[in-house]
Amino acid sequence: MKYRYQVIPELCTGCRTCELACAFKFARDGKPGRSRIYPLAHAKDQYVPVVCFQCDDAACVRACMFDALRRNEETGAIDVDYERCVRCEACVAACPFGCALVDTGFDEIVKCDLCRGNPVCVKFCPESALRYVEIKD
Amino acid sequence: MVKLQINGKTVEAREGEMLLAVIKRQGIEVPTQCHHEAIEPTGNCRLCMVEITKKNWDGWKKSVTSCLYPVEEGLIVETHNDKLFEIRKTILDLQLARSPHSDYVRKMALDYGLEKSSYPVEPDGDDCIMCYACTRICEVLGKSAISPTQRGHQKVIAGPFGEAPPDCIGCLSCAHICPTDHIKWNDKGQTRTIWDKSFELIACSKCGKKTITREFADYLIEKRELPANYFEICDDCKRQETAEKIGSLVVRAREATI
Amino acid sequence: MKIDSIRKLNKWRREIRTQQKAIKTRVLICLGPGCLAGGSDLILKEFRTILKKKKIKNISVASIKKTGCHGFCARGPLVIIEPQGIFYSKVKKIHVAEIIEKTLQRGEIIEKLLYKDPDTEKIYKEWRKIPFYARQQKIALRNVGQIDPDEITDYIANGGYSALAKILKGMKPEEVIEQVSASGLRGRGGAGFSTGRKWATCARAEDEPRYVLCNGDEGDPGAFMDRCIMEGDPHTVLEGMIICAYAVGSKEGYIYVREEYPLAVVNLQKAIDDARRFGLLGDNILGSDLCFDIEISKGGGAFVCGESSALMKSVAGEIGEPRAKYVRSVLKGLHDKPTVLNNVESYANIPVIIEKGADWFASIGTKKSAGTKAFSLAGKIRNTGLIEVPMGITLREIIYDIGGGINDNREFKAVQTGGPSGGCLPADKLDLDVDFDTLTENGSMMGSGGMVVMDDRTCMVDVSRYFLNFLVEESCGKCVPCREGLYQLHKLNEKVCKGKAGDDDLKLMENLSRTIMSSSLCGLGQSGPNPFLSTIMYFRDEYEAHVNEQKCPGGVCKDLITYRINDDCDGCMACLKVCAADAITGKKNEKHVIDEIKCDRCGACYAVCNINAIDII
Repeated sequence: MKYRYQVIPELCTGCRTCELACAFKFARDGKPGRSRIYPLAHAKDQYVPVVCFQCDDAACVRACMFDALRRNEETGAIDVDYERCVRCEACVAACPFGCALVDTGFDEIVKCDLCRGNPVCVKFCPESALRYVEIKD
Repeated sequence: MVKLQINGKTVEAREGEMLLAVIKRQGIEVPTQCHHEAIEPTGNCRLCMVEITKKNWDGWKKSVTSCLYPVEEGLIVETHNDKLFEIRKTILDLQLARSPHSDYVRKMALDYGLEKSSYPVEPDGDDCIMCYACTRICEVLGKSAISPTQRGHQKVIAGPFGEAPPDCIGCLSCAHICPTDHIKWNDKGQTRTIWDKSFELIACSKCGKKTITREFADYLIEKRELPANYFEICDDCKRQETAEKIGSLVVRAREATI
Repeated sequence: MKIDSIRKLNKWRREIRTQQKAIKTRVLICLGPGCLAGGSDLILKEFRTILKKKKIKNISVASIKKTGCHGFCARGPLVIIEPQGIFYSKVKKIHVAEIIEKTLQRGEIIEKLLYKDPDTEKIYKEWRKIPFYARQQKIALRNVGQIDPDEITDYIANGGYSALAKILKGMKPEEVIEQVSASGLRGRGGAGFSTGRKWATCARAEDEPRYVLCNGDEGDPGAFMDRCIMEGDPHTVLEGMIICAYAVGSKEGYIYVREEYPLAVVNLQKAIDDARRFGLLGDNILGSDLCFDIEISKGGGAFVCGESSALMKSVAGEIGEPRAKYVRSVLKGLHDKPTVLNNVESYANIPVIIEKGADWFASIGTKKSAGTKAFSLAGKIRNTGLIEVPMGITLREIIYDIGGGINDNREFKAVQTGGPSGGCLPADKLDLDVDFDTLTENGSMMGSGGMVVMDDRTCMVDVSRYFLNFLVEESCGKCVPCREGLYQLHKLNEKVCKGKAGDDDLKLMENLSRTIMSSSLCGLGQSGPNPFLSTIMYFRDEYEAHVNEQKCPGGVCKDLITYRINDDCDGCMACLKVCAADAITGKKNEKHVIDEIKCDRCGACYAVCNINAIDII
């Protein structure tokens, strides 16, 4: 069974519950992690959730010189291999959407990994602007 | 697939795999310093040494660095025993003498019961543990800007002839991978300095936030075939731009349906 | 003029031999390292200058031949007149005219230039009868000191390249490897690995291309065997390598020569150029399908580059650091390809093994160490020089029967073999057989052939310090146990020499040594503590004297000795004049006095006093 992560931007109200859920999902030792999803205003009171597109020909994968960004065949996401990542921030600089991020709190490069196939933002979005749908053939 | 024994347990491994990977997969913790997944192993620190033997060796044992020893059918491996403990302890003891101020070395030495070195300590200390992680990572990214220079106790990681390395692009991979944080760099204003070389930090064309060095960006643009304009804006501003682009698509779609 | 067939080679050999027979008398002038330092090149020049002008029956400039090291370096400069074998030693330029006039022209022997045995007082006319030479058996050194290294014709006249012709004519590569294996030849660089097995493993390797390398780094202090072979008989090295190339299927070879041997590079290059010119290197050697060429690769002054994997890195232009060799370099060597690396002396044996057969070679030496070994005798021995003896000979025979015993009438204390990686053996080990295994079982090793003899005026703690210092400087610095371990071991050793160490320091040194040996990345570190371990094993009392009594029995360690003038002093003021510290006072014909605080124990006074009026206590 394969899933696709879907964003329906028209439904976003900018409530930022997704951002909160994400930060808490990645909390460690009592500190919140950096959220991988960003509801941002493009006009007054009009919001769009910006999150990693898991691009087919991802700039982050291209930029990484150490093969630390790789497609996870099961979830479809591009994951960070923390045993290889040296935090040079090439991916952060290269991603045209700004979705590879530096978590200064935990000194790591972070990006959305679809919560390994169980995205919390989807669960918490009250407007169902974020969905995780099965791909029907 | 190859069958071997680790600490009495029979395990399977792929041909060509190094012992260390197999050991780690079993959840066994063997100390390492110079090992990192992004670089080829060199066996500099000697901490990952294990004792191996085979049935037909008649009890004769050999100590090898597991990071570099390829698995073999019928290998019998011991990862912890008195001899190996002594080796690891002595290595850390020697490192404590050279790098008495390094928290990294002190912490590992404490695990082996060493609060201070048995040998006379270098008062200033030298935090470089000669793991070669920095030179190896620079090699992987294709620059080989720094390398080990001179010999023996005088050995030091530096650019050619001890001068600012012409090939360095200021990516900080070496500084980040260094286990003892020995490699220092300085970001001040629009300039980054590392290895006595100065680099221009790209300032976001929208907000002025500093991202990576111009040389690093140029290298990625050329070697990894990425569009140059990706690097002119910082990630915060790129997210905002993305929001605006998607937003304008939403607005246009709404107007179209009306 | 390409010799593109074996028939042409044989024809050429016959022509050269006929030409050479016409020269009735040959005057060999040794230009080996020792004699050259003694001015033998000036002697050579003088011979040529005089003979250009003077006409003597049966003698011309063509009779004068420069050669490589003849062997008896202690007696150099040497001039040997063949075929009689007249042996003139300690020759000076002023003697040349006399030699020409008396010996060459009138057949008279110049007695004062002959060798006289210091013990028996017997005078020897012929060099082959002198005990130093008589007990030797030269295989690797067969041509050294006999031929002009620059003349390929000399090499060919002495049978050179006939082994190559033999294999190209009728031996398959597998058969060549079989012969080398059956001979029992073990690596002469010191490791003693079966040469035949090494070649067989390389030949079986699947990867290509294959490389043939020669280790001419010879880093052990005091060793000069390989130097003399490269300088004195470069073609034997080439022939050995070409035979190896045929056996393992290689097209490319390199001779790695240490930077400190420029003459070896020159002579080897001349040999390579000549071999290429005559079709013995390059494409279609001797008209066969064999294509192989050799280039010289120079070192940069690093002992560690004698280690095989570091050597290969250096040849490839990378940093000369060893790698952990769990995958042997015979499978993944130069450029990660199958590579045979053998020592100079190993290659020098190959042509003879092929010519005379494996059985012949195996019949010499011992069962497990076949053949002969070249040694360089150095240190406090009377007959310093270059020798080659069958394996299994005892240390006593080498040091006393060939080496002439200790010089200056002093006593034997220890012999250091195997370079810094080896160890020191005391007097009660003199009857041990010299071969690959016996010395190793006794805490030393035969090594590449350097043999340094020490007398009772030596402090073994200081010897250990000296070799540890060498190793600390030569360590590549990559791995912790060698870089930091040997450094600390050396510092502790210095502490002992200064009389500042305690018993727990010795214990720490012993434990540290064990860890360095079992955890170092390469042979340098793995054998690094040997100087300390072998000396403390056999001379523990000296260490204890330093630690417990702050005394140096050998009279060497400056912090623990005192120079004192005794009552034999006749007031000649010789010592006063050489004292750089102005520590000696005294008037003429009155007993002098050394101010023990000003004295820096340099030993100049001791050296200059010829009535033993100065004691070292």
